[in-house]
Amino acid sequence: LPTPPARLPYVPHVPPMALLGKVTATTFTLERPHCVFDGHADASDAVWLAVAFANASAAFRNPLSRADVPPYQQLPTARSYMTLETAAAAYSCSAPSPPVLRVGGDTACRDQARQDPCNGPLPSPGPYRVKFLLMGCRGPKAETRWSEPILLRRAVSPSAIDPAPTRRGTAVVVIASILASLGAVLATAVLGALGAKVWGSLCHRDLGTDAFTHRSYRTHHIPPALPQPLPPSCGCRPQGCATLPSN
Amino acid sequence: MAKSDDCVHILQGLLVFGNVIIGMCGIALTAECIYFVSSPHGLYPLLKATENSDIYAAAWIGIFVGLALFALSILGIIGVIKASRSLLLVYIILMLITFAFEMASCITAATHQDSLTPELFLKQMLERYQEPANNSDNEVTKTWNELMLQNHCCGVLGPSDWQEYTSAFRLTHSDADYPWPRTCCVLDARGLPVNLDGCKLGVPGYYNSNGCYDAISGPVNTHAWGVAWFGFAILCWTFCVLLGTMFYWSGIEY
Repeated sequence: LPTPPARLPYVPHVPPMALLGKVTATTFTLERPHCVFDGHADASDAVWLAVAFANASAAFRNPLSRADVPPYQQLPTARSYMTLETAAAAYSCSAPSPPVLRVGGDTACRDQARQDPCNGPLPSPGPYRVKFLLMGCRGPKAETRWSEPILLRRAVSPSAIDPAPTRRGTAVVVIASILASLGAVLATAVLGALGAKVWGSLCHRDLGTDAFTHRSYRTHHIPPALPQPLPPSCGCRPQGCATLPSN
Repeated sequence: MAKSDDCVHILQGLLVFGNVIIGMCGIALTAECIYFVSSPHGLYPLLKATENSDIYAAAWIGIFVGLALFALSILGIIGVIKASRSLLLVYIILMLITFAFEMASCITAATHQDSLTPELFLKQMLERYQEPANNSDNEVTKTWNELMLQNHCCGVLGPSDWQEYTSAFRLTHSDADYPWPRTCCVLDARGLPVNLDGCKLGVPGYYNSNGCYDAISGPVNTHAWGVAWFGFAILCWTFCVLLGTMFYWSGIEY
């Protein structure tokens, strides 16, 4: 019977640094294990990542050889798969390496329906649990612990966005109210002035007394009449009619 | 009587001064609205796509109102100096009509500027941004690409807009290859991402983490406030001058 694989205390986890794309809708990243497999790994060994749905991780059985490794295509049926086959030397203490591993970054794996193990995008938000498995020529040699459940992002439809403003700004209210009141005052003033003129001209035409108050008129200066000398004529006096000389 | 003559002259002088100010402000309003309408920021396609381009309508009204104010101020100056009742009556009536139009323009600009929320642009971007752009959304996509390239920004609030919501872009580009459009990555001189994996992961320095909302709302807000508040100030001044003119008109003798 092959010896059971050694259980390493390392727990895979999403990297703590702030990366906006560390968990997306179909991919997630893991912190690269460093110095975890030293002491258990030979030069020819490979480290695999086992990914399983969180509720199927307990039922996962380590494959006995490389030929038994469940590929990406089996994820819907087997509820788990293994991917990211890497030489154990890449995770050793002395290897320089990028600090993260991206799970789900190979879209050709899904589009071309490849049957070999590859790193395709995850089809559903999960949650998933992962563990690393050190596979030698005769089967699994060491395994890490299962990670905490990793839940992927779920996108919402944009029709849920409400574009209406939450409340009207005060500036709109100020402008609208002040302008409306100014306009009303002006309209009232104009109507009032025109109405007063029309009313005034109508009233004054009826009475006829004030028709001249607003008109400037010139007074013609009429001197008082001087007594006119009488024309020569028959002046009747008691002595009889006689032509009186005019003087 | 010398005193009332002085009063009349003072009133005439004030009205002429008021009309001169109105004329100059009218020219300034026209210039400002022409600048806004021919804006170099190229945001008009976005506003038109949101069916929210009434700020442009307010600016167009502002152009003609400004010219009308200038012409009417000249008419007013002539009418005041000649003390002609008919000229001043025409002036008052036309000024009231102009006042009403400018009132409409101000209130429109203020109301619609209020409605340019980030959610409005977010919804439009998610529903219409597509690469490569098809015919109907060509303008929106091109405008967004130019906006993102020139301002080094991504999305409306940030690249996470593309992650939080499904979009027309998401239908044609898989989430694994394109968490956000390539235009959000830091590009080199040839237009290719400097570090594609770094951009996809969201490593600081390889992608643009700011949202573009500030780049959109900044110019639009400035212009809308310019049209709304400057128009409001002109209208307050015009109100005073009109009241004075009406008082002067009613005191002119036949």
